[in-house]
Amino acid sequence: MWRLCATKLMSALDNSRQITVETQPAMEISSDTLPLNDERRLVEEVLSKDRKATAEFVALCTDFVYSFVRKRLVPRVELVEDLMQEILLAGWQSLPKFRGDASLRSWILAIARHKIDDYYRRRLRETDITTEEGEPSAEPAIEPLLDRHLDAAAEHDRVERTLALLPETYTLALIWRYRDEKSVREMAQLSGKTEKAMERLLARARENFRKEWTHAQS
Amino acid sequence: MPSPETERQWQALLADDEESRASAPSSLKARLYSALIRSQQETGPLASLEVSVAGGHGVCVFEKLVQIVPVADEAKTPFFCTTCHARILAEHFDNPPIFWAHCPYVQFKA
Repeated sequence: MWRLCATKLMSALDNSRQITVETQPAMEISSDTLPLNDERRLVEEVLSKDRKATAEFVALCTDFVYSFVRKRLVPRVELVEDLMQEILLAGWQSLPKFRGDASLRSWILAIARHKIDDYYRRRLRETDITTEEGEPSAEPAIEPLLDRHLDAAAEHDRVERTLALLPETYTLALIWRYRDEKSVREMAQLSGKTEKAMERLLARARENFRKEWTHAQS
Repeated sequence: MPSPETERQWQALLADDEESRASAPSSLKARLYSALIRSQQETGPLASLEVSVAGGHGVCVFEKLVQIVPVADEAKTPFFCTTCHARILAEHFDNPPIFWAHCPYVQFKA
């Protein structure tokens, strides 16, 4: 028995020597999406707890989830890993419901969106928003603030840097409202605040953003 | 309340930029993979390596050794990567110096 085992071992090592000279692993995964049949096959294998398929699943999903989550947790990027772990775990747990009507990417991003909403709701609930008397004054347009010399990528970088400088609550409010296109009413309901309080918070967030943006420009 | 036009401008300024997608660091992928496998193990044994091979996946040289060891199949289901140097390097460094073919942690390297 042991002689047989040793023979197999030598054979495995021989094979591995041949394999290790390959410059690329056999299964290269760089794209965000797979053909539908491949996605279904992958889902079945992950559900059967195949470790290799699970690695493929992680490699496939992590990049787009990372990008999505990171842009929404600015400036608290140290929370990205914990939230991503929650998202992938929730994704795996809900895979039995995956029918392939939408791509795996859309499926996982929908879960990520729910998790982000949960996080925003919790953080904004914890925030004490004091409401002053009187109507807020009319706000200036932001168009004049924009630098026409900046290309789209540079402008986006500057937006991200400016968001990172704001207090977390302001950043969350701005991203929830304008990036995720939540209405003020939805934001108020989800975070247990009044619409008026949410409008105040957004007004302050916009004002702070403008100040930081202008400060960086000058 | 800002005017609808100002609201539209804010939306345009803060919109998600699909072009500027950052790739996740390979060490993060490695830690997420280990965590997901740990969660899978909590609900019962992983599929055996034979199942992976039958599904068309390759196994690394260490897993090959496990495959040929004359023990019961149940003894071949644990997550052997927990004892592997490749996992430790991959979880702590981006693009670590690991090169084993069919190692999941090598797969995460950029």
